[in-house]
Amino acid sequence: MFMQIPENAIEIEGYYTWMGDDGIARTSVKPNIDITLEHAMENSKAVTSLYKGIKFPLLIDSRNIKSMSYEARHHFSARGRDVKTNAFGIVIGSSISRVLGNFYLGINKPAVPTKLFDNERDAAEWLKQFCNS
Amino acid sequence: MQFVSMMEQKQAISLSDNTRANEILEVILAFARQDFDKKVIIRDDNNLLDGIGSGVNMLGEELQHSTISLREKEQLLKEIHHRVKNNMQIISSLLNLQSDNIVDTKVLSLLRESRNRINSMALVHEMLYKSNDLSKIGLRNYIESLTSSIRQSYASSDADIVFEYDISEEICFDIDKMIPIGLILNEVISNSLKYAFPDKKGKIDLVLKPLEHQYILSVSDNGIGFKSDFDVDKDSQLGIQLIYMLTEQLNGTLTLESKGGVCYSVLF
Repeated sequence: MFMQIPENAIEIEGYYTWMGDDGIARTSVKPNIDITLEHAMENSKAVTSLYKGIKFPLLIDSRNIKSMSYEARHHFSARGRDVKTNAFGIVIGSSISRVLGNFYLGINKPAVPTKLFDNERDAAEWLKQFCNS
Repeated sequence: MQFVSMMEQKQAISLSDNTRANEILEVILAFARQDFDKKVIIRDDNNLLDGIGSGVNMLGEELQHSTISLREKEQLLKEIHHRVKNNMQIISSLLNLQSDNIVDTKVLSLLRESRNRINSMALVHEMLYKSNDLSKIGLRNYIESLTSSIRQSYASSDADIVFEYDISEEICFDIDKMIPIGLILNEVISNSLKYAFPDKKGKIDLVLKPLEHQYILSVSDNGIGFKSDFDVDKDSQLGIQLIYMLTEQLNGTLTLESKGGVCYSVLF
């Protein structure tokens, strides 16, 4: 079960990004893309564009991911990413996304609270606590 | 027939998995050799082997960057030890140059003592940047080089002073221990070479070995020993005061004996 992409989602080469009605931003990796630093930077820009004065949590659907470069991983774990966001809930599924997700918990630790989930519902439930905080 | 066909199919799949597993193994072996050009090719994100391959790729990238960063830091540390040693050598050379214009033997002797103290520290930095392990140096090598340098400084060419070493080659210390050890040895050996052998003939024994959970460093000579009226508290000059201070730095205790020669023992 992959996420429903709304019509108003920002579409860039590697991701769809939008703000959910629940105040949780969402970003979903497109299938079969090797995520590079450029994709990662574009994604950060799209996520930041959703900022309206209050930091928000971000739900990342990585189930479609094929690969992510070293530079992209480090971009996502760098402090630049947490300027407008306050938590990451990463939805994993495929073996590659599980590996990548665990890299985020261990080696490429983001600067904000981060947790892995098997589905979108549980991720959104956990991220709710970070809305309007 | 259908059964055979399924068997063949299973064999074909397991052969393909086997080939992929071998490909991944090849990449792991390349990483182990620090060859980071190879990567596992990711074909299908629902395949477990792709997950493993992807993890191997990412771990390889992290290892490659950590290795590069570690090499750079090692290079930097070597450079720092090199520069410290060079700067110490410059100070030592300046003292040497100043000695050329001095005729007062007492001042000359003070300059030489200072130079030797600097050299004993410079030697620690030199051995550190030349060693594979940048944090530790072998004590035996260090002491042999140090004694040779002190001997050149004090003993005249016709002197017959023999050094005997009982130091295990395995003993290694870090810089925090090597500097005080080097300075203690410098003081003690210099004293022996200056005062113990008026007839320019003798032997200096250097021992450093483990003793229970500590180490014992002892330097003894078979020279004339202290004068009978020598009082450590009253007659000590900078050299012996330094030895006491450096022993404290090692959290050790110093024992001084003078029976047919002088023996300094530091337990630390």
